[in-house]
Amino acid sequence: MKRLATALIVAAAATAGGALAAATGTTTPSALIYPAETIPIAFDHAQHARLGATCEGCHVSAQTSTAAADNLIPREAACRSCHKIDRDLPAKAVAHGQGAARCDACHVDASGKRWMPVEMGTLGGSPTPPAKGPAGQSPSVPTRSAGAAAEPPRVVLARPNLKFNHKLHAARGIACALCHANADMQQAPVTRVDLPMMATCLGCHDGKQATARCSACHLTEPDGRLKTKLLSVATIAAGADGPLVPSGSLRGIDAHGPTFVRDHAVAGREESYCLTCHKRNDCIDCHGGVVRPPDIHPADYVSLHAVDARRNVPDCSACHRTTQSFCVGCHQRTGVGADPEGGLPGRRANNPFGTGTGVKTFHPPGWARDAGGAPITTPRPNSHALAAQRNIRACASCHREESCLACHSADPTRGPTFSPHGPGFGGTARCRFLAARNKRVCLKCHQVGAPELTCD
Amino acid sequence: MRSRGRLALLALVAVTVAGARPAAAYDFTVGLRTIGQGYQVRRFAADGSNELLSRRRLTQYMDLAVFDLAPSRWRGDDGDRNVLYFDASLRFDSDFGGYMLGRPTGTDEIHELKQSQLDILYAFLGGRNVGGRVDFMLGRQIHFDLVDFFAYDGGAALVHLTRNFAVEAYGGTEVRGELPLSAPIYELDGTSAGSRDPATRADQNSMLRPLAGGAVVAGSDAGPLMARLAYRRVWSATADQQIGEPDSGVNDEKLALTALATWRNRAYVAGGARFNLLLGEFDDEQLLVKLRTFARQWVTLEHAYLAPTFDGDSIWNVFAAGAYRDLRAVYEVGIGPEVKTYARGFIRFFTASGQAGGGSLGAVWRRGRGFLRADGYWEDGYGGRKVGVDASARLGIRRAFEIEGRLTGYEWRADATGDAARSPNDAGVVFGAQAGGRWQLGRGVKLHLLAEDNVGTFYSSAFRGLAVVEVDASL
Repeated sequence: MKRLATALIVAAAATAGGALAAATGTTTPSALIYPAETIPIAFDHAQHARLGATCEGCHVSAQTSTAAADNLIPREAACRSCHKIDRDLPAKAVAHGQGAARCDACHVDASGKRWMPVEMGTLGGSPTPPAKGPAGQSPSVPTRSAGAAAEPPRVVLARPNLKFNHKLHAARGIACALCHANADMQQAPVTRVDLPMMATCLGCHDGKQATARCSACHLTEPDGRLKTKLLSVATIAAGADGPLVPSGSLRGIDAHGPTFVRDHAVAGREESYCLTCHKRNDCIDCHGGVVRPPDIHPADYVSLHAVDARRNVPDCSACHRTTQSFCVGCHQRTGVGADPEGGLPGRRANNPFGTGTGVKTFHPPGWARDAGGAPITTPRPNSHALAAQRNIRACASCHREESCLACHSADPTRGPTFSPHGPGFGGTARCRFLAARNKRVCLKCHQVGAPELTCD
Repeated sequence: MRSRGRLALLALVAVTVAGARPAAAYDFTVGLRTIGQGYQVRRFAADGSNELLSRRRLTQYMDLAVFDLAPSRWRGDDGDRNVLYFDASLRFDSDFGGYMLGRPTGTDEIHELKQSQLDILYAFLGGRNVGGRVDFMLGRQIHFDLVDFFAYDGGAALVHLTRNFAVEAYGGTEVRGELPLSAPIYELDGTSAGSRDPATRADQNSMLRPLAGGAVVAGSDAGPLMARLAYRRVWSATADQQIGEPDSGVNDEKLALTALATWRNRAYVAGGARFNLLLGEFDDEQLLVKLRTFARQWVTLEHAYLAPTFDGDSIWNVFAAGAYRDLRAVYEVGIGPEVKTYARGFIRFFTASGQAGGGSLGAVWRRGRGFLRADGYWEDGYGGRKVGVDASARLGIRRAFEIEGRLTGYEWRADATGDAARSPNDAGVVFGAQAGGRWQLGRGVKLHLLAEDNVGTFYSSAFRGLAVVEVDASL
């Protein structure tokens, strides 16, 4: 029974894994770069390649094209060199071995069915070409009636959101197949899903063989940033669903997945790369902004934030840089950090350190003073020393330095002189580096000329 | 006389025409954003009573960028744009709700609460690709890298020595809240100008802080390897120097290295380490490995170490003996082109003692201008526990109109000691709902309205309203 269960689990996992791999195993070009198009043509690239057709032979204009928006699909005239098309004979028969000349040999309608002019009766709309005789033709060859208005569905191409100069690439001897690999093996027209993706471009655009500037290919705003707002009727029709964002092809860590907002710290260490698309204000909107980002802070975050602040997840200082200006004022105003400096000379005496208010208790008994109100002398599991060691930024969100100096100064006239340094601090690198670079901070607690200032 | 006058006029016209250059055509982009917020927050009084404070806040952003400042032939090495530009952003933030009414004064004044503030977030003249080698910025600017976020008034220059090697240098004075038209959002933390205790030397905050730094950058955006070594030092003269005190002190000094390596578009390694020269210790280390297992599947593993450090004038550099290490893992998978899902987990080890950890699961379905997103999360350990779910959606109704909504529910229990049994906990349950809409009122003009109400342990109703008007224009 156990074996059966194990086998079932393994089989289920394998099936799920396989299905997942199948569902996730393919990628297509961005719908924002190549918008939706309509190419109602049945065309077998592989067959034409076998017959000796070359890319340049049909796509003549590709050699001179300088813009990605150019329509490089061959016109009927290019086909006529092999296909003896006669528009007045939609079902024209041709000799065996010659290129078909019927309309429905190439044209299809919106549903993919072979297209013939409507007056052709049973021939129009058939899902497959009519049965071909030895000469590749139907038994009867009706002629197109005068005045027939039916036209085949048109090719509709939307302007790609990209810069591309075919002429420049061709002039440098870059073969068509380098970018359009396998096009000559396709039994269908090349559509937007077959067009090159960025990884193909980066094969040459690596900063050595060719420029790696993003703006060499991507459209740009007036300020030089990449144009990312590319949603349009045509891009939405192709499946686009938002602004242009990195897919991860270039750096991996820049992939804007569902957790990127929360996890972009490492990716965001290099501003020049981020500023390729973003304005500086995009950073400030969160890192110093005024509106609560709901993807980071849920509803009523004021109630919840103490949990995150104590363990510093997410890192509060990443956005609220100065707890000493951002947190203290609000805490003091709302009473949850009400005047923690109470009792100092010249200050009112309410709310002495550690008691909290009547409604929202803040620090537990024994946090800084014992039950009799005397300062604790030995750190306990629930005293403030451990919390300060874990995350002193949480302390700094309510307290100013003067809170600590009340008991931790080396000046006995101020009060208790509990050392915050720990044993052996004088010989540490921290003591030497700090004293060498800023002795002012030492003098907040120690007297000028005190022997301990030498860090020996 | 008449012919002589005509001749002179013709000569003047000829000289003018010969000396004329194509008229400069500056490009402008102007961005205006007005944000109005109103919400309620509970205030607790020392006598045990409490009340709801209504907070009303109005923020105005004004962005201006001007391009093509140099003669039109100055188009840089890549030839696609003019080399000189100007970029600026101003913010006016005003807090005029009940939150600010009856604010204490005199000895009880809360220095950190400011009612209205006009900040120049940045404003600089920039040069790009000057002579094919140099980028520069002159004015107030914001930068970010592993050294830190920082803002300063001064100049910066980046010189591309070779295709894959550049050096950068900058200098100026740190932007601090104490200065006029200056936001404190990126200043060094740990010293409060609101301190009353003379020993804390609050007057030191008003001193100008010169700043200097630089970086060496190797590699390119598309290359397999990239590295940046950066250095920054901030210092200040001693305010009201007394006998025996140093005449200056260092407020910040850091050396940071970041690197990124890629392998065949499948594996990426990024890392960094920052050495704090003020304390003689590494205070930030990161190592991240990201793997593309299948076309739409990513696995990310990350290790991070962070030790809190402060302004060199803060005593908390001495108290901050602890640090923490994080291990994080994220698995992301796209199911078809429209759905992305993820699973994320982390554990944080406090070097002093204790740990915290948690995870989240979520999925996003996007189509056109709409999306549907659902997330669930759970965290526990030092600091407390929180468990919640969040669902949000946006739907394009018409071409210029979108509606959006969000439902949130969570339970939390905060503890200060990592020992729930010993700590008097704050705990609660919150349910929140948001509904709103976004209108495209015209070309470059948007209106965003959002209403939120929350019900929970501490509120029977807490309303929040947000209105944003955005205007973007290119002239």
